[in-house]
Amino acid sequence: MPSETNPVDQQVNAPPRHTERQRPRKFASWHEHHWWSAGASLRRLMSRPLGTLLTVAVMGLALALPLAFYLLLGNVQKLGDALGQNQTVSAFLRTGQIGPAAELIATKLRDRSDVAAVAVKTPQQGLDELAKMQGFGGALHALDDNPLPFVLDVLPKPGLAANEVEQLVADLRAVQGVDLVQDSGTWRQRLDALLDVGKRAALVLAALLTLAALLVVGNTIRMDISSRSEEIDVLMLVGASRAFVRRPYLYAGIWYGLLSGLLAVLLAVVVELALAEPVSRLGAAYEGRLQIGGLPPWLLVAVPFAAAVLGWLGARLVSAWQLRKAA
Amino acid sequence: MIRFEQVSKRYEGGHEALSQLTFHVAPGEMAFVTGHSGAGKSTLLKLLGLIERPSHGLIALDGQSLAKIGRAGIPKLRRRIGMVFQDHRLLMDRTVYANVELPLVIGGIAPAERARRARAALEKVGLLAYERQLPASLSAGERQRVGIARAIVAKPALLIADEPTGNLDPQLAVEIMELFAEFQQFGTTVLIASHDLPLIKRMKKRVVVLDHGRLVADIAAQEVL
Repeated sequence: MPSETNPVDQQVNAPPRHTERQRPRKFASWHEHHWWSAGASLRRLMSRPLGTLLTVAVMGLALALPLAFYLLLGNVQKLGDALGQNQTVSAFLRTGQIGPAAELIATKLRDRSDVAAVAVKTPQQGLDELAKMQGFGGALHALDDNPLPFVLDVLPKPGLAANEVEQLVADLRAVQGVDLVQDSGTWRQRLDALLDVGKRAALVLAALLTLAALLVVGNTIRMDISSRSEEIDVLMLVGASRAFVRRPYLYAGIWYGLLSGLLAVLLAVVVELALAEPVSRLGAAYEGRLQIGGLPPWLLVAVPFAAAVLGWLGARLVSAWQLRKAA
Repeated sequence: MIRFEQVSKRYEGGHEALSQLTFHVAPGEMAFVTGHSGAGKSTLLKLLGLIERPSHGLIALDGQSLAKIGRAGIPKLRRRIGMVFQDHRLLMDRTVYANVELPLVIGGIAPAERARRARAALEKVGLLAYERQLPASLSAGERQRVGIARAIVAKPALLIADEPTGNLDPQLAVEIMELFAEFQQFGTTVLIASHDLPLIKRMKKRVVVLDHGRLVADIAAQEVL
């Protein structure tokens, strides 16, 4: 074996062969390659702006739709809450009940945790209300005495669920001395049921559109890997590990996800702003009782991060599959 | 350095590219593998780089059986081998410098050291002035030199080349072969697959002759006429 050194060694006064492999800079080179991969993949995306824009737009729209649906459902729920604020349950006492008995029942009801207020309406007040109604004035004069009973207008606590209101109504019906209970809140039960359907539909939609976003990023990365198969072969032939080859594609997935998440948030905010004016008019119509809300700040931050994870996952699945075929 | 013991390679479909091949190459030796097209030269080099696995037999490198190297160990093995290809296999969207630097990036060498080594390798093949150019702007011979610089930059113990002068004119081919011989003189083991007999004779190195996957002659350097 000749004793001289390799010509490359000679020129750079490098240490003997193989010593660089033992240097404890694995972490440094790993870290360095991550930075390089992140930068290189971003540059690659920027080098084909139209393709990148289309991918990000499709993913962004797919992610924005569940967000918009979430915004809509939340506000319909608030609208229902606002409309239900003055919806009282009327309990008609048996005729012949006297004032103190009505007050006693009202006091007991006021102690309940699901009742916000109870108003006692006397037979005379009932008659006066009827008298004010068009067409009843003449008929009431024909009456010898007041046939109306005491009525308790029970206002449920705000925020009660439909089944809780239903329970309150059932309890009122069971109260001694109550003849009839009239619940005008059936519409609320229907709205709550509809909202439940909407929430489930939003979840299913979100899952499907998330899957669509995953497929979009996966397909984009697949095409990227296919178009660079020669480069991948060269990298593997000169000693690159699969993780090394895969890394830029994983970062590309992260960039696609992050950018589309930001676009989705932007679109959701635009929807929110577009609805702001008519919604504030609606709020004013309810004398401030209607507080329409936007998307919570945590969600606006979480969506781009979640989308980045989604992009990484799509790239990871596809690159693992594609690189199996590499040399 | 290289040991082939009764190595056979049969591809899917039944074609036997190598049959019962046995030969050794000593450390620091330079040898040519020759034969007609389809003799098994490229298959032999692919087995060394673990691009293919043998159907039978033992291949060892520096005493280590390649059969024991799993999928995860292949990159490590390839970092010990410099490979030169007939079609140079350069990354055409990266500069000459980036191509040569690539094995050092993969090997995790520090940036300053990478720069020194890559420039030294480019200087060795006479292309330092072209470091910022893209391979597309170079001639075929220059591209092959870039491929050689990339193969030697990580200072491999073994250099293998598959028809490295196949696309070059005779004068350039001689220059490239002399470059390989120079690396051999400094201790690198060199194994070159070539069918260019006049060039092989001129180099006066050991010649392993294959025919239909079988070893038909093993001619020592001093016996080459």
